[in-house]
Amino acid sequence: MNVVVTVESACKSYGPSQVINGCSFQIHEGEIYGLLGINGAGKTTLMKMLLGLQRIDGGSISVLGREVGGSREYLADVGSVIETPVFYEHLHAEELLSMHLALMQKKASIPDALQLVGLDNVGNKPISQYSLGMKQRLGLARAIIHRPRLLVLDEPLNGLDPIAITDMRELMRKLAAAGMSILLSSHIIGEIRHTADRIGILAGGAIRQEFVVKDKVSECGENFEEYVVGFMRRDTYELV
Amino acid sequence: MNLYRLEKMKIRLSTYRRAVLGIFVSLLAMGVLCLFLGGGGPEVSMHINGVEEDMLFTSWSGLFAVSTALTVACFGIFSAVFAAKIIVEEFCGKKAVLLFTYPVSRRKILHLKSMFVICVTTVSAFVSNMAVMGSLYIVSRIFGITPEPAGGHFVISVLLASLMSGILSSEIGVIAAAVGWKKRSVMTTIICSLIIVCFVPNLIAGLPGGIVWVMFVMGGLFGVAANFMHHFLANGIEEMEV
Repeated sequence: MNVVVTVESACKSYGPSQVINGCSFQIHEGEIYGLLGINGAGKTTLMKMLLGLQRIDGGSISVLGREVGGSREYLADVGSVIETPVFYEHLHAEELLSMHLALMQKKASIPDALQLVGLDNVGNKPISQYSLGMKQRLGLARAIIHRPRLLVLDEPLNGLDPIAITDMRELMRKLAAAGMSILLSSHIIGEIRHTADRIGILAGGAIRQEFVVKDKVSECGENFEEYVVGFMRRDTYELV
Repeated sequence: MNLYRLEKMKIRLSTYRRAVLGIFVSLLAMGVLCLFLGGGGPEVSMHINGVEEDMLFTSWSGLFAVSTALTVACFGIFSAVFAAKIIVEEFCGKKAVLLFTYPVSRRKILHLKSMFVICVTTVSAFVSNMAVMGSLYIVSRIFGITPEPAGGHFVISVLLASLMSGILSSEIGVIAAAVGWKKRSVMTTIICSLIIVCFVPNLIAGLPGGIVWVMFVMGGLFGVAANFMHHFLANGIEEMEV
């Protein structure tokens, strides 16, 4: 399987605080990689480094075969939802997506993308009238409409109702089956368990534990969540 | 779709159109008031430090100086608010994450946004000042108020100074945006423009006879400053972290 993302000994600090410290992992084509970590573990920072929004202080990150920090052309093949998605709220969803496609220099069907996220009947309403959950769905539509090869999703399920969460999970599985690689972060272990193929636990600025979800679930059975929480607790304790 | 049209889509222009209309109406009301106050001609005077002096707006050049000074003050703040909204808020706020995830040169986006502020402000201020002066002339003819005859030379001065008032206003906006950017604050941008308009319009109104020269000199000086500050920002934008 082709490697889409390679993070090698990446480091990032804010003043004296080392947020990412020798982090390494790989994401393969068509794989959903779940990033787990406590608040402040550096999940968002790591995702921002991948997108070139934060400088890399040490190590290297390559996305789709291109080194991050140089040309930004690779961003045309990357879709992302970082933190709470922001929009130009006076625009309609259709206008927003057409603007996005023009900036990405790609062509795609806007109604299809809206239908995928369940917003097909409100595409001509101003975004300012959308609820938090609808905005979250629109953020996802914007991230996938240009058919990126890599999707970076930072807690994309925040604000979604249980039905929408199930729909989104199915959508992510479909996209991965079509060859899209997905880097997903979430606080909800159960959610990541049902969506991701592999999970990396980020603690102390590095991936401390990495496992294939199927293998770990068959090993731990019903105690999967306890195992992950226990590991995160132990690791936090050891770092302190 | 080119980048210019995409940037235009991002801005809710109707808000700024209403603001420009509001400024024009206010300036016109102020102008009409000044016209009627000074309508009695040079014999209308006031005592300043015990010396009797003609009021500024008893002549067309005086009226025009007042109108231009107020235009620069209003549109200087307008351009700072506009720049704060489309430059400072976007690059220094949450929208930066969105803005920087496109495979488009950040420097190009900044230049485009600045050009937008400059063009909108310059055209609005020029048209507004010309329309105010034109309206005042019509009002003076209707009510028979003629402070003094306005010659062809004066009309050319109005054209040139109005154009410079637009350019100067936009430069105030760019300088204020650069200061606001450094502080990552919309409020700082607006306060900076308020500080600048505290003294610039006074210089314009204080020298009504040489208004065209004053406008050209100030436009040049502010232009150099705005250009320097804009390029200073543009150089650091590619490395900016959000």
